[in-house]
Amino acid sequence: MAEVQTSESKGKQKHAGKKKKKRIAIRIDMTPMVDVAFLLLTFFMLTTTMNKPQTMEINLPPAETKAEVAESNLLTLRITDDFRIFWNIGTEKPTTIEGANKKEKLVALGKLLKDRNRANPKLITLIKVDGKAKYIDMVDVMDELNINDITRFSLAPMLDEDKKIIGTL
Amino acid sequence: MAKAKRVGVKIDMTPMVDVGFLLLTFFMLTTQFKPQEVAEVILPSSHSVFKLPDSDVMSVTVDKTGNVYLGFDAQPMREAIFGPAGKLKAGMQVELKDLGRLMREARIRNPKLRTVIKGDRESDYAVIQNVMEILQKENITRFNLVTDLER
Repeated sequence: MAEVQTSESKGKQKHAGKKKKKRIAIRIDMTPMVDVAFLLLTFFMLTTTMNKPQTMEINLPPAETKAEVAESNLLTLRITDDFRIFWNIGTEKPTTIEGANKKEKLVALGKLLKDRNRANPKLITLIKVDGKAKYIDMVDVMDELNINDITRFSLAPMLDEDKKIIGTL
Repeated sequence: MAKAKRVGVKIDMTPMVDVGFLLLTFFMLTTQFKPQEVAEVILPSSHSVFKLPDSDVMSVTVDKTGNVYLGFDAQPMREAIFGPAGKLKAGMQVELKDLGRLMREARIRNPKLRTVIKGDRESDYAVIQNVMEILQKENITRFNLVTDLER
């Protein structure tokens, strides 16, 4: 023990002239920095919006064009403000789509459109939505068309004649 | 009963902090602050998977009460169309009768503009229909409806 100590002290004396810096173990308390980092992390995680809004693309024919469509190829959908869906092909009498709630009606509509389009691939769907209906109703119907891959559709305003046909006027 | 001996537990937090900083830098670099909105709208939801384009967007916003706002993502365009007052706003409220003219002016300045309609889910379809008629008259036959992803 004693010997070791002396040798150590000797060593110190030996290097004293060179003035070697004494190594100090620096201990910085990192806790506050880490706290701030995690605070920022939570902030960015919560404010970040990963999903960009989706969009639905619509192609409408230009205003001037008048396309002639055979009656048998035209499926008209009429949607009232209380979300009753009437459909007919050509000049048939419109029939409603039954369903307990909106979702059931939409599912039934999707199925109907799919069947009709399979039966007649040239079918064009014309959507007429009542002006008093909500925008979401229209989007839901369009969504149903998109889901069933029906790309040939057009939008038309609901006129008083249409309302007469479906008996809401 | 012998009292349990208290052991000073020391966990090395370094890896956790490392991961924390990694995530922090990731989120800081990827985050894009939500562009300011002209009006508060609750978007309808759909299953559509098209993404909203990043630039050259002209948006027609329709809020719950049927007010119509026209907005652009590019600041110079806003200044050109709405004057200096509209430069810093995301968009301005417009009358339906002016909408067509303003859109025409904007499209002359930037023919690449994509038109999107942001409608509130509770707004009347009549207003949207009017907007779409104006779009059709202006020969904008391809446009997008902004929706949220259905969950």
